[in-house]
Amino acid sequence: GRRFGARRAREAEGILYIALSLQHLSCWTPFKLLGILDVENIPCARDSVLYGSLGSVVAGLGHFLLTSRIRRSCDVGVGGFILVTLGCWFHCRYNYAKQRIQERIAREGIKNKILYESTHLDPERKQTNSNSSN
Amino acid sequence: MAYPTQMGFQDAASPIMEELLYFHDHTLMIVFMISSLVLYTISLMLTTSLTHTNTMNAQEVETVWTILPAIILILIALPSLRILYMMDEINNPSLTIKTMGHQWYWTYEYTDYENMTFDSYMTSTNDLTPGELRLLEVDNRMILPTELPIRVLVSSEDVLHSWTVPSLGLKTDAIPGRLNQTTLMASRPGLYYGQCSEICGANHSFMPIVLELIPLKYFEKWLLTML
Repeated sequence: GRRFGARRAREAEGILYIALSLQHLSCWTPFKLLGILDVENIPCARDSVLYGSLGSVVAGLGHFLLTSRIRRSCDVGVGGFILVTLGCWFHCRYNYAKQRIQERIAREGIKNKILYESTHLDPERKQTNSNSSN
Repeated sequence: MAYPTQMGFQDAASPIMEELLYFHDHTLMIVFMISSLVLYTISLMLTTSLTHTNTMNAQEVETVWTILPAIILILIALPSLRILYMMDEINNPSLTIKTMGHQWYWTYEYTDYENMTFDSYMTSTNDLTPGELRLLEVDNRMILPTELPIRVLVSSEDVLHSWTVPSLGLKTDAIPGRLNQTTLMASRPGLYYGQCSEICGANHSFMPIVLELIPLKYFEKWLLTML
């Protein structure tokens, strides 16, 4: 019974510690990679840099394991980082731009639907008219 | 609005400024990669003991470092030109406002329907109420409706000024004897601050611009109270 109570007290202490840490994190200063790239707020930046780092490690390590050449492996690692980061970046930004366009079309569609409901401009009304005429 | 130790842009309040932010992110990523490559190359140069004194030609590397920068420049230029032309699109403004720069205040003229003009002086630090922003508040804000394209004609009565609102992506020079036009379309209501951006004398830093963007029905009510 005493051991169970002590375990509960430790759990409560742990939860309190996590809560206090989270409170402290709210006044965390923003992190910028090399002081210039705000990876927290720029869409796709964090993912691109993380994938690039992974690609760099895989390429560099793989090259070293195959050839045992340190300098050339470092070059391959850096080249891999740049290529993978840029590749992920352009791919992610392209999809993000397409998504924004679709969101805008959907938003305009919803706005127009409410605006034109039951008028002669209502697209649903035009559709039912064409269905009934067919 | 701006905050201390700010390094980046303010949050966008218009579609054009959003596009500019995305373009900035795109260009910054390219610059970041080039900087990483250059830093790495410099570190390699500094840590090698090898020398090569009889290079005669280097066709392959010269081809690569000609074509690759050309491709990078095209990747930067195309979105840039797209935004440039987007800023010049004809969009049928609903309202036209004239902004006249003086030493050292702005005058706003709403003359579409009635002749309404007012001056906008900076609120001095002694007259600020708690919570107001030093060197940014004005006595009469420029009040505008949201989500409507607005034409702003900027000019000056004396020397060069520049009418700037960073969160809307606006910066237009106020030149005496010339009318410069810019189009404004705010996506959301709020207060947007800017400062004169062309040196114009002793109080150049003390002639701010404040835009108060409100929904159209409140803008109409405000207009009726002013006329």
